[in-house]
Amino acid sequence: MAATSTDIEIFAGAPAAEPPRPRVLLVGSALASGAAAMVVLALVAVYTRMRADVIAGGERWLPEDVNIQLSPGNMGMVTLLMSAVTVAWAVYSLRNDDRVHAYLAFGLSILLGVAYIPTVVYGWQQFGVGVTSSTQALLIFTITGLHVAMAGAGLAFLAVMAFRALGGQLTGRGAEGANAAALYWYVTIAVYGVVWYAITITK
Amino acid sequence: MTVTEAPHDVVEAAAVPAASAPPTGLAALVGSGDPRTIGRLFVGTSLLFLLMAGVVGILVGFERVDLSGFEVVDGDVARQLFTLQSIAAVFLGVLPLVIGLATAVVPLQVGASTVAFPRASAAAYWTFLASGGVVLAAYALDGGPFGADGEAVALFVAAFIALLVALAVATVSVVTTVLTLRAPGMTLRRTPLFSWSMVVGGTVWLLTLPVLAAVLLLVYVDLLYGQQFLGGSDGVYDRIAWTFWQPTLYVVAVPALGIIADVVPVFARRRHHRHTAAMALIGLFGAMTFGAWAQIGFSVDGQSNPTDWLYDGVWIAVGFLAVVPVVGLLGLWAATLGRGEVRLGTPLILALFAGLLIGGGVVAGAVTVIEEADVLTTTWASGQELLVVAGTLVAGAAGLAFWAPKLYGKLLPDALVRLGATLLTLGAGVAAVTYGIAGLYNQPRSIALDATAGVSEIDTVEALNLAAGIGLTVAVAGALAVIAALLKPARRRAVADDPWDAHTLEWTTTSPPPIGNFATVPEVTSEAPLYDARYAGTTAGATGSTEAPA
Repeated sequence: MAATSTDIEIFAGAPAAEPPRPRVLLVGSALASGAAAMVVLALVAVYTRMRADVIAGGERWLPEDVNIQLSPGNMGMVTLLMSAVTVAWAVYSLRNDDRVHAYLAFGLSILLGVAYIPTVVYGWQQFGVGVTSSTQALLIFTITGLHVAMAGAGLAFLAVMAFRALGGQLTGRGAEGANAAALYWYVTIAVYGVVWYAITITK
Repeated sequence: MTVTEAPHDVVEAAAVPAASAPPTGLAALVGSGDPRTIGRLFVGTSLLFLLMAGVVGILVGFERVDLSGFEVVDGDVARQLFTLQSIAAVFLGVLPLVIGLATAVVPLQVGASTVAFPRASAAAYWTFLASGGVVLAAYALDGGPFGADGEAVALFVAAFIALLVALAVATVSVVTTVLTLRAPGMTLRRTPLFSWSMVVGGTVWLLTLPVLAAVLLLVYVDLLYGQQFLGGSDGVYDRIAWTFWQPTLYVVAVPALGIIADVVPVFARRRHHRHTAAMALIGLFGAMTFGAWAQIGFSVDGQSNPTDWLYDGVWIAVGFLAVVPVVGLLGLWAATLGRGEVRLGTPLILALFAGLLIGGGVVAGAVTVIEEADVLTTTWASGQELLVVAGTLVAGAAGLAFWAPKLYGKLLPDALVRLGATLLTLGAGVAAVTYGIAGLYNQPRSIALDATAGVSEIDTVEALNLAAGIGLTVAVAGALAVIAALLKPARRRAVADDPWDAHTLEWTTTSPPPIGNFATVPEVTSEAPLYDARYAGTTAGATGSTEAPA
């Protein structure tokens, strides 16, 4: 229905439209991502420092009964790297108003993110000892557990943005929320890269 | 024909659907996303926690008066109270005080209608309140660091982690506000110095608080699974203590420098001398306050606590270099005051007190990095901590007095605030100096079960401790006076929108500001737009206007 002259008179007295809030969610997510990364990285720093001290003392770092297999860690890393690609695909699709591919990419990203969690749990099962067995085990369980929590938060963020995209709120130039979720997810993957190298590769 | 005609206003009222009445009382508080309300809640709650920290400090101070035994409280309780005074002062007191002030003031300073994430800020406040309460409850259940009840100690650690998360979330909201919601024309270089200091300090908090949360998480897992590796409840305080010594201790003072820097030029009636240099010095100071690397380390057997950084190059360098930006800022403020027409208003007096206390704190911190002095583990460090914390608190009081028209819609009573801040400064100063001297006699910082071990001149130290206890009592009385000033009802006459002839954007709106803060936001072309308009006789600082949301 076309606006009448009366409608225009009414709106003439209304306050100006709120200006766009530039990058608020993106900047806030960047700060939160940095803080979340610091939680895990701080413990990785503790881990590597203790490891260096023990090895410098001429002793073996991991107790003999500890078994860190390469496969679960590598699978987790590969899974997360694939999810980085699909998240980038989702953001790209949204920017280009390609909703079908955006939905598909969001779905795949969440699927891959969820698939990462069993790789960690499988690694725990293969570990051979419990959290109470040694300081090393305490550290490894805490670091990997914290990263699962970080990934869980990222998955929730991605899911919320995916549903908003389904609702039509994140199309085209308004895709800031998806950018913010993608940023958090990339940081999560980068942090896992550090965890993977420190624990799975160097042991 | 009978014509029944309702009055015109009745017809209009009937046509408009009845809006639900806005919530009042507790519902209005709990449901509020208004940054001014959230900021005031943070400020009020933190002042109450600070008061409690002060009372605990008094107890600890008087406990040291007789070093031969425990006279005021039991030995184990004394050790827990020793930890509580610092934890409450920093994490329940000055940090949330500054965050509260920033939540209310920063959106106004940068010309925003609200904070970036008002609901997150509100959630952060309520989490802060709840977790702060649980921290205190855990102490009451014998669960603070050194506590005997393992489950209560785990509760303390969990609540402390939640507290850190709350402070971090509130900080994200404030920093994002400055970075993204500035008024048109307000570049980062034109940002008011308090807002800038929140960007600097907040960023360092966001790098530091998660590290503390991480080591506490490790402690929490260890406590849950048998307390085998990290020393149980006796090891908890080792994981927190690094936040109370330099350089991390200084991070609470970064926004205090910003508050002083905003107050001084207003009462000097001139621009801040070398505004950009002040920004750089605040940034430099902030960069040096990241001290998560200088904490007590872990060992596999849990028997040793490596501190390789102690008296090492970087730590020593930071200890000395931290003095440079603070002295530089003191010099800039002296130049600003020296070239201006000074009005000795209450906020300025408080700001100067705060500057002196913080300056004293960083100079005392430089002494702690001298290995030959060997004072880091003595009450010298307690005195240094007291100077920095009290300096930040007095700066907070200066900020409250300065921005009271915007926060509370009134001016605080000058006499009461001046009295309170003077008592606070004098009391904290006396306590800090006497603790410092007692530290030179080797009085250990922490409360040990054998308090006389290693202490020389026990009678002198006990007399100094008595003076410290009295000083702390005076300081707490001063804090009470400041709180009373906040509680005192507003004067009958309405406060002016800009009672100080101030320089920055928050003073262009009403006191208190309306919902949305500004009817129109001027376009900013300098760091002191109102100064330009008022003193330079031009409108160069604030030209045109951009419609803002109502």
